[in-house]
Amino acid sequence: MEIVVCVKPVPEAESRLRANASGTAPDTDGVKFVLAGYDESAVEQALLLRQAVPGSKVHAVSLGPPSRTDEVLRAALALGSDSATAAESDAPPMADPIATARGLATAIAARGPCDLLLFGKQAGDDEEGLVGGATAEALGLPFVGFVVDLRFDAAASRLRFRRSVERGEESWESPLPLAVGLQQAWNDPRTATLPAILRSRKAPLARHAAGPGAAVAAASVAERFALPPPRQGAKMIAYRDPQQAASQLVRLLREEAKVFP
Amino acid sequence: MSDVVLVVGEADGDGLAEPTREAVTVARRLAGSQGTVLGFVAGRGASGRAAGFAAIGVGQVVVADDPRWDAAPPAALARPVAAAASNAGAFAVVVGGSSFGRDLVGGVAVALGASAANGVTEAERIPEGVRVRRPVFGGRATEERRLEGGRAVLSVRPHAFPAAEGPPTSLRPEPAPNAEPAPAQLAPARTAVAAASRGAGPGLADAAIVVSGGRGLRSPEGFRLVEELAEALGAAVGASRAVTDAGWRPTSMQVGQTGRTVSPQLYIAVGISGAIQHLVGMVSSRVIVAINSDPSAPIFRVADYGLAGDLFELVPALTAEVRRVRGS
Ligand SMILES: Cc1cc2nc3c(=O)[nH]c(=O)nc-3n(C[C@H](O)[C@H](O)[C@H](O)COP(=O)(O)OP(=O)(O)OC[C@H]3O[C@@H](n4cnc5c(N)ncnc54)[C@H](O)[C@@H]3O)c2cc1C
Repeated sequence: MEIVVCVKPVPEAESRLRANASGTAPDTDGVKFVLAGYDESAVEQALLLRQAVPGSKVHAVSLGPPSRTDEVLRAALALGSDSATAAESDAPPMADPIATARGLATAIAARGPCDLLLFGKQAGDDEEGLVGGATAEALGLPFVGFVVDLRFDAAASRLRFRRSVERGEESWESPLPLAVGLQQAWNDPRTATLPAILRSRKAPLARHAAGPGAAVAAASVAERFALPPPRQGAKMIAYRDPQQAASQLVRLLREEAKVFP
Repeated sequence: MSDVVLVVGEADGDGLAEPTREAVTVARRLAGSQGTVLGFVAGRGASGRAAGFAAIGVGQVVVADDPRWDAAPPAALARPVAAAASNAGAFAVVVGGSSFGRDLVGGVAVALGASAANGVTEAERIPEGVRVRRPVFGGRATEERRLEGGRAVLSVRPHAFPAAEGPPTSLRPEPAPNAEPAPAQLAPARTAVAAASRGAGPGLADAAIVVSGGRGLRSPEGFRLVEELAEALGAAVGASRAVTDAGWRPTSMQVGQTGRTVSPQLYIAVGISGAIQHLVGMVSSRVIVAINSDPSAPIFRVADYGLAGDLFELVPALTAEVRRVRGS
């Protein structure tokens, strides 16, 4: 099974969040870009499937300028991916996800066969969760999101999985090829070993120009990026006894916050 | 300039799901008083669901009455929806922010050559297209984006808008234009559905009120206090990772970075300290209440109302008060 995992560079969780000078996007000055958390789980899922299905290969693909993609591709290699492809584009970090999807689709099609295409649930920065479905459509692949517990039934030559949604858990099956948006980190992603990290530093990265492929007529343009004014902190309710605390809170929720039926 | 907006209807039993009614509210705002909101339904019994649109005043509904859609993934509808939007000359396609809608948006945008956004909390018509606002970075920031190119596809963040209501109108169904997905796109099949494990309460993702408990509850038995309060409120129950890691409750109840993201009207955090990994899953709730014995717990910094004290006294009192005012 040829498994392709799309991985996105996102600002490190600990980095300070603030708007850029024009107030249109997050400031990326001095910010380190790392493999998105959900994508790390997607890599783990790919490696587990490779282990279960002999002869499988795992390929990581990332779109963006080399200054951001190379770091996360090497991280995917250090974890155990067999190859890594950079779809080069000068897109800013929170670029139009549909353009990103088109660029990824071009790179994936050019890379080679793809039986299973994996995406993390969403990126920790823009939280769009759009790229999986859009890339699949651009490749004419079926797409299923919110997937957990993905397994390959070799005897039936089918993927079996569950989809965790509002009204419960659905069971699904599908032949290959399939594109999947994983719901979350059910797996505990492995950590790369030091020798693997060192090897990944020198590993070759395939490069593919995604620039023109990513350009589409329709585009979304970032206009404003703002941190909310800090919440003022809770209005602390003073009370004599628990009963009085409860009745005060219910009154405030009803009359002031207007959320209580 | 077109003034047609297409809303894709998600089924809930025989009727329309709540997120679809929220999408209709947004579609009406975008279309304006002179514009047209058009419904779209697919699957067996789609005609029944079309009646759900008419009941809230959307009479014109495109109907793809084809049983193949029932077991197919939502994303398989991308091409049929795009064709219906194209056919009607719609400038926007709006869907509810459930898993159904979120799975559909990207594919429709590609099939339609449109731009797209998921989980919007504001949407406004502008000359270039549609301007949207949405929370990003786990609710730590918001962005505004202009969706250009004449067509926009968006999903609406749950509970950010009121569900549309009537007055009812008469149904004018239209057959869906003939548009096939790629053959492979119909291959994945849903084989079974197990209702959410806590069948009694509403699902976490679409509940208007969520009551969550943390390590402060001390034990699986202690956690019942949270469930009793939730039951009195008609709320869904959530938990911190401390609770799910300890096995007091299933992982499906976990709220936060590695669990679910919720944005109810009211979130009540009981015995939860407010670690950043928990906060990212609930900060965009409209009103937050925290109950914690430690007045310096970080949860009070994001809460609107705080009760500092022993939850084992406060929560039963609150449950009793809620039952009293709700007359049960
Ligand atoms: C990669 C990663 C991902 C994570 N993902 C998540 C996630 O998705 N969701 C999540 O929740 N956490 C997550 N965590 C864990 C998170 O960091 C915290 O450890 C966790 O949220 C703590 O849970 P808690 O608030 O219930 O427990 P604690 O932090 O132990 O807090 C318990 C609180 O209860 C209060 N308390 C105790 N007794 C009483 C009483 N009698 N009355 C009132 N209050 C009382 C205490 O004052 C305290 O504030 C993650 C951590 C990591 C590293």
